[in-house]
Amino acid sequence: MSDQQLDNLIKMLDQIIANNRHCGNDEKVTDVAADHLRKFWARSMKQKIIAYANQSPAELSAPARSTIAKLEASS
Amino acid sequence: MLHYYDPSTQSYDAGTSIPNPDFDFGTPARVSETLVSVSIDGREISVPEGTSVLRAAALAGINIPKLCASDNLEPFGSCRLCAVEIEGRRGYPASCTTPVTQGMDVTTQTGKLAKLRRNIMELYISDHPLDCLTCPANGNCELQDVAGTVGLREVRYGFDGANHLDAVSDDSNPYFSFDPSKCIVCSRCVRACEEVQGTFALTIEGRGFDSVVAASQNDPFMDSECVSCGACVQACPTSTLMEKSVIDAGQPEHSVVTTCAYCGVGCSFKAEMKGDQLVRMVPYKGGEANHGHSCVKGRFAFGYATHKDRIKEPMIRDSIDDPWQVVSWDEALAFSAKKLKRIQADYGRESIGGITSSRCTNEETYLVQKLVRAAFGNNNTDTCARVCHSPTGYGLKATLGESAGTQTFDSVMKADTIMVIGANPTDAHPVFGSLMRRRLRQGARLVVIDPRGIDVLKTPHADEGLHLPLRPGTNVAMVNALAHVIVTEGLEDQGFISSRCDTEAYNTWRTFIAAERNSPEAMESVTGVAADKVREAARIYAQADNGAIYYGLGVTEHSQGSTMVMGIANLALATGNIGKEGGGVNPLRGQNNVQGSCDMGSFPHELPGYQHVNDPDVRARFEAAWGAPIDNEPGLRIPNMFDAAIAGSFKALYVQGEDIAQSDPNTQHVEAALKALDCLIVQDIFLNETAKLAHVLLPGSTFLEKNGTFTNAERRINRVRKVMEPIAGMEDWEITMALSNALGYPMNYSHPSEIMDEIASLTPTFTGVNYDKLEQLGSIQWPCNDEHPDGTPTMHTLDFPIGKGRFAVTEYLATEERASRRFPLLLTTGRILSQYNVGAQTRRTANSDWHEEDRLELHPSDAELRGIKDGDWLGISSRVGHTVLRAKLSTRMLPGVVYTTFHHPGSGANVITTDNSDWATNCPEYKVTAVQVEKVSQPSGWQRNFVDFDERQRALLKPAMENGEGRHASTLK
Repeated sequence: MSDQQLDNLIKMLDQIIANNRHCGNDEKVTDVAADHLRKFWARSMKQKIIAYANQSPAELSAPARSTIAKLEASS
Repeated sequence: MLHYYDPSTQSYDAGTSIPNPDFDFGTPARVSETLVSVSIDGREISVPEGTSVLRAAALAGINIPKLCASDNLEPFGSCRLCAVEIEGRRGYPASCTTPVTQGMDVTTQTGKLAKLRRNIMELYISDHPLDCLTCPANGNCELQDVAGTVGLREVRYGFDGANHLDAVSDDSNPYFSFDPSKCIVCSRCVRACEEVQGTFALTIEGRGFDSVVAASQNDPFMDSECVSCGACVQACPTSTLMEKSVIDAGQPEHSVVTTCAYCGVGCSFKAEMKGDQLVRMVPYKGGEANHGHSCVKGRFAFGYATHKDRIKEPMIRDSIDDPWQVVSWDEALAFSAKKLKRIQADYGRESIGGITSSRCTNEETYLVQKLVRAAFGNNNTDTCARVCHSPTGYGLKATLGESAGTQTFDSVMKADTIMVIGANPTDAHPVFGSLMRRRLRQGARLVVIDPRGIDVLKTPHADEGLHLPLRPGTNVAMVNALAHVIVTEGLEDQGFISSRCDTEAYNTWRTFIAAERNSPEAMESVTGVAADKVREAARIYAQADNGAIYYGLGVTEHSQGSTMVMGIANLALATGNIGKEGGGVNPLRGQNNVQGSCDMGSFPHELPGYQHVNDPDVRARFEAAWGAPIDNEPGLRIPNMFDAAIAGSFKALYVQGEDIAQSDPNTQHVEAALKALDCLIVQDIFLNETAKLAHVLLPGSTFLEKNGTFTNAERRINRVRKVMEPIAGMEDWEITMALSNALGYPMNYSHPSEIMDEIASLTPTFTGVNYDKLEQLGSIQWPCNDEHPDGTPTMHTLDFPIGKGRFAVTEYLATEERASRRFPLLLTTGRILSQYNVGAQTRRTANSDWHEEDRLELHPSDAELRGIKDGDWLGISSRVGHTVLRAKLSTRMLPGVVYTTFHHPGSGANVITTDNSDWATNCPEYKVTAVQVEKVSQPSGWQRNFVDFDERQRALLKPAMENGEGRHASTLK
């Protein structure tokens, strides 16, 4: 994966989380964000972000990691 | 035309009570529940109160001569030819200006009336050239017809007196000429410009015998305020205003009603033909979207269809550095199929995809997404709606339950307040813009929320309008402030909310929106708009009986585009402006079939009818019908395809009728992605910017060369009818079908009507749609099914597809694209009237006479700071790129905001736009780019490369275009 593609996926995920902050606590926000990824992200995008998260990178925020974990659990 | 004797021009369609759209009833229809009975020449007829005697007579099948009257114009009473006798009244009243009254007894033909009419015509003809046989209107001249009707046999005044026969023609407009020597000063052109178009460019200058039609201050038409809509030309009863195409070719001999392929208004036109030559496009009065009006694009800019640049034969090449080689259709398709299969074998099933066209028909779009899902075996299908109205689909589905606007265009005529947000209807949707202006002249209030002062704010004889010139990128802050006022000032429609909306969602939203942080005062520093103006706007909207919101890409093309769409829906729900005429949420779609391309399942997560691919029941129905498995995961969206291409996992793309290389943001990123593909198949009518990077060029067909349907912004499905044969032998749906067959997935349709039947069988909102019904009804607004057998003009009248309307919390988040010391200005992009989208069509017409280059508009104070004068070359730099445009000083924007269009590829407008995008849909943020501007002396590096690459690609195409060298190239892999 190019850095650019990864950067874009992380940016998109952060945007989705930020725009759903109103949903409540982190648990609810990440539920909604994970659902959004399920509905709108392609399989390859999901696989790539999951693979990246599994490396436990510092660049991912806690809500982003939580969202990806929920996505992975349901896939 | 001989309206008065030709039995084919009857006022009603044969055997029906449907008024014949080709017939001129003299004055407009009136709407009244009170019927008035009159007797005309002994025939009894009942008509709505307010109807003119002239119209009542026409409805009774009695044709009274007329020249200054037309049923798209208010009566004027100028020519007096329509004089009649009315029992009990003195004199000879003009039937056009005389409304019927109960029991009126009218006589239209007497000896005295005949003499009066002959006398009038004698005066007209005494100052009219007697060159009928060589006149371009010969055979289609109302003056000639009326002369015949009244029995004019002599002109006793002679022709030697004072006259206007030496008046000089004005040929400045590229599409029509103005020959004042033929003018009878009936004022129809002036009134059409006022009443129909709403521009008020024409006037009658002088008095009495010296009266002449003048454009603006007696300027040449081209230099005047005229917008070349053609309404005056259509209104002219002589050849004073005449299409140059008719002057050149003569009168057409047959016509076909079809639908314009420019903007999302979807105007109906009569394509008037001579054999297979299109002579002119005349707006069709029976068209429900346009009611006989047009704009400079649809009316006149059709010459691209026969332009010398048309790609006429299939071509292939292995590398973009190779010359194009002309091949047969079979070879091109086999070459494409072989490449696609090889790439899938090497890189996997998901390594290829397709882009459907919002300019092609519903049937063609449907087939492309079907090809991707069934033949490619993945969901990597997307459409250019991704980069314009994808947030509309998301936002309206979330709040109202359906991804579509709620109204008809005509609904605006019942709006008391019209709120226009991020749209420029007089330029981008001109025919609807004219309708909106008509309503504004009738007294509707206007609120415009836009960084620029758009022309609808300058509507003559209308409310001045309240303009909220917000900073680019602050839409959501603004819509929240408006909603805050509505909630905190008690302006909500509690009855509507309690009966039609989800209570929990409403309560959550209400708590959110009532918070002080959303007040106009708190948001003033964000939006830059004074709080009192925001409060006033909210009251004007909420207190109106009917408040309508119209929005465009200034709403959607933001990082919070989807949030803003939901914010707009919140406003409409809170005020009860849903489910009734005069209200609603109205997305103004950019291209002709944006609505349709979305409806047809172009998006990677949705099958036709917005049915998600992860729904097993939905998939099962499609799999049964298509005989192929459907992936249960969404596919890649266009920006995701680009990223994947650069990353090396996405290797082939089939693009039908879209120029993604010019229209998508961050051009250099797009170019890098397209160059990374192993196989790019472009199906288009010209060598556009995308095609220059392609390996296969499949010659597409224009809307004139195909059958099908378009769906406009009001969900209206309109027929597209073929008027000439496809230049390369295949309509676009046939090409997609042939590609599918070459790939081994069989498609066997003999006509687009069969494709529509399949669509209807799989799409719940289309089950009642078929070509027979379209012929019968003229057009259909979906949903059209058992519940709504004739379609649905106004949506959500009783409930929502999701049951209750759902308010959505819309927290404002500032975009990451912010002005800084390095990039202190905010660039926003848009469109102008004469050009269309990437300009591939309009740049190949005389429309370029109005706009031959994209310019950067900037405020004089920003210019002064930088020592910039009008016309200077400016370097514009953003975080992603640099381009050069000429300066145009303008006070349309506030200081700090600059603006340009993107109609010319060499401008590189999208070299500087970034790939920031909407959080929910990836719709690019074209409307906000932080830039710096400075004077420069030469084009940018990208522009110099563009010129070189363009010249090289044209050179690689030239031999193939000229003589078909390389035909049937067998050496290609």
